[in-house]
Amino acid sequence: MKRIIILASTLILGLSVLVLSEITEEGVKYQESEEAGGPEIVYTKPVKGVLFSHKLHVKELGLPCESCHTAIFEMEAFKSQRNPDFNMDSLYKGKYCGACHNGQTAFASNTKCATCHVGVKGLERLKKKAQAVEKK
Amino acid sequence: MNWKKFFKNLKMEEQGCVPDETKREFLKIGLIITGVAAGGSLLNVVSVVAEGLATSEEVHKEYPYKPHYSMVFRVDRCIDCELCVEACNQTNNVPEYGWRTKILERVDTKAVDQQRQFMPILCNHCNNPPCVRACPTKATYKDKQTGIVKMASYKCIGCKTCMVACPYDARYFNEEKRAIDKCDFCWESRLSKGMKITACSEACPAGVRIFGDLSDPNSEVYKIVHQMGKAVWVLKPETGAKPNVFYTIG
Amino acid sequence: MEKKNNPVAEGIISKEEFTQNWLQFLTEFLSGSKGFYILLILSGLIILISAMFGVNAMYVGYSHVYGIYREIPWGILISGYVFFVVTSTGLCIISSIGHVFGVKSLLPIAKRSVYLSVVTLLAGFMVIFFDVENPFRMAIWNALSPNPTSNIWWMGTLYGAYLVFMSIEFLLLLIAKYRYAMVAGLLGLISGIAAHSNLGAVFGMLHGREFWYGPYMPIYFIASAAASGCTAIIFFTYLGYRIRNERFDKPMELALQAVGKLWALLLAVLMFFVTWKVITGFAGAEGKVLAIREWLFGKYAINFWFFEVFLGLVAPFFLLLVSRFRNLNQMFVASLLAFIGIFFMRVDLVVIGQIVSHFFEYNVTDFPVILTYKPTLHEIMLIIGACALCVFSFLIGEKVFKGHHTEIH
Repeated sequence: MKRIIILASTLILGLSVLVLSEITEEGVKYQESEEAGGPEIVYTKPVKGVLFSHKLHVKELGLPCESCHTAIFEMEAFKSQRNPDFNMDSLYKGKYCGACHNGQTAFASNTKCATCHVGVKGLERLKKKAQAVEKK
Repeated sequence: MNWKKFFKNLKMEEQGCVPDETKREFLKIGLIITGVAAGGSLLNVVSVVAEGLATSEEVHKEYPYKPHYSMVFRVDRCIDCELCVEACNQTNNVPEYGWRTKILERVDTKAVDQQRQFMPILCNHCNNPPCVRACPTKATYKDKQTGIVKMASYKCIGCKTCMVACPYDARYFNEEKRAIDKCDFCWESRLSKGMKITACSEACPAGVRIFGDLSDPNSEVYKIVHQMGKAVWVLKPETGAKPNVFYTIG
Repeated sequence: MEKKNNPVAEGIISKEEFTQNWLQFLTEFLSGSKGFYILLILSGLIILISAMFGVNAMYVGYSHVYGIYREIPWGILISGYVFFVVTSTGLCIISSIGHVFGVKSLLPIAKRSVYLSVVTLLAGFMVIFFDVENPFRMAIWNALSPNPTSNIWWMGTLYGAYLVFMSIEFLLLLIAKYRYAMVAGLLGLISGIAAHSNLGAVFGMLHGREFWYGPYMPIYFIASAAASGCTAIIFFTYLGYRIRNERFDKPMELALQAVGKLWALLLAVLMFFVTWKVITGFAGAEGKVLAIREWLFGKYAINFWFFEVFLGLVAPFFLLLVSRFRNLNQMFVASLLAFIGIFFMRVDLVVIGQIVSHFFEYNVTDFPVILTYKPTLHEIMLIIGACALCVFSFLIGEKVFKGHHTEIH
């Protein structure tokens, strides 16, 4: 009995990792682990390679889900980038990431660009990671 | 001139920790090395940094080229969206296996705060180009009017000496052209047809690439490079190539 | 191939005599040992096969079949070219001591050396033909659009002149016009040394490549050429006599002794050069230090310590001393080992100069600090083919010119 439960939970865990890691035209979603609180998301619009890391914000910084969901972001990956106003100007005005990344709560969004902008290279790297998981 | 601090600051590239004195010294040396002296002339520079290397161009009195095409990169703004690379590839028919411009990813895990920076590279259109000196058939040459290092593809024998000579990995062999290819500041595809800036500069959404005439005091390029209080550098100055492409932050 | 009697110089000869001469030549050519012909046909086949590889490479595109790439554009084909032209220049230098500068003891080796200097140069040209992307444009634009600041241009032009002078010299030696041969030899020597030091300067004047940059390269190239020349003379003279089953006559023995002694001296010089290249390198720019570390302690350590140092320098040196410059068998073994070692010297020279990434100091993830290069089958086959060309031409030369005997006068 115990064995079956262990087997089943591993399967579900594995599957959830599988399901939560995907590569689409909109970007890459990669679930590191359950405790991360959500997937690593790499946006591709309006420019390729912008990373939002649930692992950093939830697991390492300890932010609760309500701090962003659903007032600032919907709980659907890539939903935001479908908006036409998903750009740096909106961030400077306090929308999206700019709600916190304004220089007070967190670093200002017009500084340290390459922290979130992992670029095409970061996008490709995460794609490979997600592909490796998908193969399993 | 505190060399230890100079090099340490080079690596850190945070404007905050570079004192003005260092920046001034830095700028002077950087400008001398790049063959551009603020308000001076190339003639001065050549006699100061006499390297004894033959160049195939005459030394003019002032900025020898009109317009003296040049590019400045503000690397803190680069986000590796690679729209510049796409624009360049499309505009200049760059094949899949080659590149005229590239974004390098710098990672330093020991850096405080930001640990990643993107650095675009392309042909530096050097003032003392090692490739032009080394080419046996003058298939590559520095244009007397614009300073752009160009290719006369029909003369290229494909010996690849210029590829080895270039300190910046700017050249590659283009099989379709049957000649070496590299960035020509979009001369063939845009500038010669009346357009004012390169495809990559136009495509950059973040204002990283600033292209212009270094000899025109009204140009952005001139203004950035000729600031005493701003750290502006070139890649691999020790090679004596005297590049025309500058890097800065802010 | 008719070298014996010049019908033009000797006056009109009768048809019967002419035919008889050719028949005689043919019978002599065909009266060799079985081994000779086997080797001849084998080397001929290898030349053809390697030419096929070369043509295939041209057709498919070099980037697809060679191991070179954008960051390392020069591979073993360039080092093979260097190997052959270094040997050629060396043969010219050593042989000129005899018949240009009149040192009588070195006269016996002269003819063969001049012949082989032409052969090895042509082998070098064959290799470079399959490396340069547009070889047929070379002749046109080197002539129409020369660049006097280009070491490659000078090297190419001077080697062209060198080829002409050495060929003329050989022909003059054959018809025993020694005075004129001396002039041609001198011109060949001057153009050879000028060309060869420019080849060194191709590498030495590239400030972007710290491993190569500096005045050392042209100087080292000339010293290395002289050493390679001695190696080649001992190697081929010994073989030439062996395949013809001939005994060494006294003048030839003395000549080889002299060459052996010269070679030992040059090996000592080279060992000195390499030692200081390495030592000063460690105090050089970071790019240079990285390259030297990789060369001595990294992936190229076996190349350096075993092939370059041991086989190329130390073992031949000691073998020469042991042989007291009299035991020609030992000297031959020394030359064989040295040839292998020298080839690796050229490979390391060309490749290590390029393995340090252009952007090594910028902590980039796009390139490793040390790049790698691996030669492919096509490149290796071309080198083997060029070696086979040398062997083939050498064998033919031994037969046709009857062991390159010289009358000492």
